[in-house]
Amino acid sequence: MNNEANQPAKRSNPGGLRVDRENRETVGEPFIEDPRMTCRNVDVFYGDKHAIINVSLDIGKNEVISMIGPSGCGKSTFIRCLNRMNDTIDTCRVRGQIKLDGRDIYDESIDVVPLRAQVGMVFQKPNPFPKSIYQNVAYGPRIHGLAQSKEELDEIVETSLRKAGLWDEVKDRLDQPGTALSGGQQQRLCIARAIAVSPEIILMDEPCSALDPIATARIENLIDELRHNYTIAIVTHSMQQASRVSQRTAYFHLGDLIEIGPTEIIFTNPKHQLTEDYITGRFG
Amino acid sequence: MAPSTLFLSILVLAVAAYVIGRKRSYSVVGGARKLRELHSRPTYYGMLTALGCGIPALLILGIWQAFEETVITRLITAGLPENIRTLPESRLNLIINDVKNLVSGNIVSKEVDPAMQAAADHYTRLQSISHASMAVVCLVLGIMAIAIIRKIITPKLRARNAVETVTKIILVACSSIAIFTTLGIVLSVLFEAIRFFKAVAVTEFLFGLQWSPQMAIRADQVGSSGAFGAVPVFAGTLMISAIAMTVAVPVGLMSAIYLSEYATSKVRAAAKPLMEILAGIPTVVYGFFAALTVAPVIRDSGGLMGLDVSSESALAAGVVMGIMIIPFVSSLSDDVINAVPQVLRDGAYGLGATRSETIRNVVIPAALPGIVGSILLAVSRAIGETMIVVMAAGLAANLTANPLQTVTTVTVQIVTLLVGDQEFDSPKTLAAFALGLVLFVATLFLNIIALHVVRKYREQYE
Ligand SMILES: Nc1ncnc2c1ncn2[C@@H]1O[C@H](COP(=O)(O)OP(=O)(O)OP(=O)(O)O)[C@@H](O)[C@H]1O
Ligand SMILES: [Mg+2]
Repeated sequence: MNNEANQPAKRSNPGGLRVDRENRETVGEPFIEDPRMTCRNVDVFYGDKHAIINVSLDIGKNEVISMIGPSGCGKSTFIRCLNRMNDTIDTCRVRGQIKLDGRDIYDESIDVVPLRAQVGMVFQKPNPFPKSIYQNVAYGPRIHGLAQSKEELDEIVETSLRKAGLWDEVKDRLDQPGTALSGGQQQRLCIARAIAVSPEIILMDEPCSALDPIATARIENLIDELRHNYTIAIVTHSMQQASRVSQRTAYFHLGDLIEIGPTEIIFTNPKHQLTEDYITGRFG
Repeated sequence: MAPSTLFLSILVLAVAAYVIGRKRSYSVVGGARKLRELHSRPTYYGMLTALGCGIPALLILGIWQAFEETVITRLITAGLPENIRTLPESRLNLIINDVKNLVSGNIVSKEVDPAMQAAADHYTRLQSISHASMAVVCLVLGIMAIAIIRKIITPKLRARNAVETVTKIILVACSSIAIFTTLGIVLSVLFEAIRFFKAVAVTEFLFGLQWSPQMAIRADQVGSSGAFGAVPVFAGTLMISAIAMTVAVPVGLMSAIYLSEYATSKVRAAAKPLMEILAGIPTVVYGFFAALTVAPVIRDSGGLMGLDVSSESALAAGVVMGIMIIPFVSSLSDDVINAVPQVLRDGAYGLGATRSETIRNVVIPAALPGIVGSILLAVSRAIGETMIVVMAAGLAANLTANPLQTVTTVTVQIVTLLVGDQEFDSPKTLAAFALGLVLFVATLFLNIIALHVVRKYREQYE
């Protein structure tokens, strides 16, 4: 979208003073009108380690929100809270309130299985199942009973692969193992697999970190298209990527949500000193 | 110098060679500062010297030792008086033996006759000459090697490559020991089996339905003509292994799944070693358990249901054997299931799969090669197991499909055929080798199939 991130001159903040480094209150606009998901005072612990500290933010409809921050700051931990993937980690405890369409997803009456079908996830490392390409995509719809017949299933597989931009490359070899694809193809396969269960929200944890620039560009285009039908939360280490694909950006630092707001503001005019340091590469 | 002292001296010499070679490398390059100009690190020059000194000397020592006795014996035989030398071979051997006993100070059966005493003295003399010359040859060789290698050490000498080549040769030699031993065993079994098949037709052995290997030892004995149809024995092995696997595979696999997917790490840490204890119990104890506890229970409960159960049954042996091999399946499967990357599970969970769906559709298929491997290991363990069967399944070679009857297995028959005083050329004893051969071929095929299966799944799942 823009390259201002690389041009410090435009980022001057003549109006106000920067928020001091020591201040860990969230600055910016964490809340929006008519949100899809709302997170309030979320704390996450691994055993005794306090990995996410009192984070509150909203995720809007049909928006791409990116989460950036130095390694180990808790981006993955936070995003994994949104579909309760942290439940699979024994030592992990989540406190606070996370609501999807007004329902608390950590409520006891909520079953994680439909929740995760509704909030899909794409992981940092492509992780296709040891099955054929077709079976990889068909797996989700099959376990959720989304297709009544073989034809319907075929159709879901085809549309998902088309949306992920992989159809033309694999349509002649759907019965080959998904693990035999290249890294970028595997990642698109994983995206196709995630869309096949028609989630409403897709969480992506550094989906491009293992990919070359061309594959990355394809996935970024894909995210841009998917935005019209889905809500997407993406963790990324690339500030260019965040500025290209997302409408809002959240900056995490050692478990705190430091700053959140519209992407171009975060990258052109950050209010917090830590954000400024990070995006100008002065961190660490 | 006694051979053992010589051996130690060579080792000491080799250590010295190491030090000398190392020092030399420093001095040829001109001190520790310039080590970079040396092709290899100084230790390699040391090792090269040590190997060059030690290996030829040790080889000579070994060869000398191997041939010394034969040569000396030849020499003293030649020196014996004419009347003894012309004795028949077997008598001559006895006398030579006496001479050797005399040399080593053992009491001889007869009065010591002067010719023998002379021969013994001659023997001792020859032996000491031989030892002395061996020591001289070995040590001179070693020292010469040190001198030569010290000469040829230059900064350009590719000592590391030379040492690595020698190391490789040693490694190859070690691995061929295992291969040649296997080959030797196979050949000897094959050879004996062929002798057996000269007496009993292959077809009769493989397809005959009657197994009663008692042969008449003397011509006037009656009733034991010997029948070598091995089908009942194979069938017994198959049945007991099958029963064992029906117990071990489901139980083992499910406990593996529980341990790796459901148990908390604390439970797992405690339960896994406990299960592995099962594998450490001596099989005799299992045999006891099978014969004294399980078999009576089966017989009694069978009796209640109006079934005719013999007190030693295939079922009892098979079930207990199955319990014994549970840890083979569970422990290995648990390891491979644990090795399935967490990201695969996450992928399934992230699609909204339940835990059991994830296990069934993702984890197990990914772990399948290892699981198949563990099952095949358990099968070969079951086929080879003897003790439990001897104690709990009986010895009678019944051809039956009824697990409540007494049956016998290949290994048990091998044991009973060879236990006690036996002639080593009667078909009865040779039959053991034929059975062993069949067992070997069967496990070989099993392994080949296993490898094939594993490779196929690898291709599919990697
Ligand atoms: N399973 C776990 N058990 C204990 N601590 C964990 C676990 N996973 C993460 N942590 C800790 O929680 C903190 C946040 O980790 P997280 O993976 O969320 O960071 P991240 O922002 O995603 O980093 P990166 O950019 O490197 O992926 C780190 O300090 C990490 O050491
Ligand atoms: Mg991460």
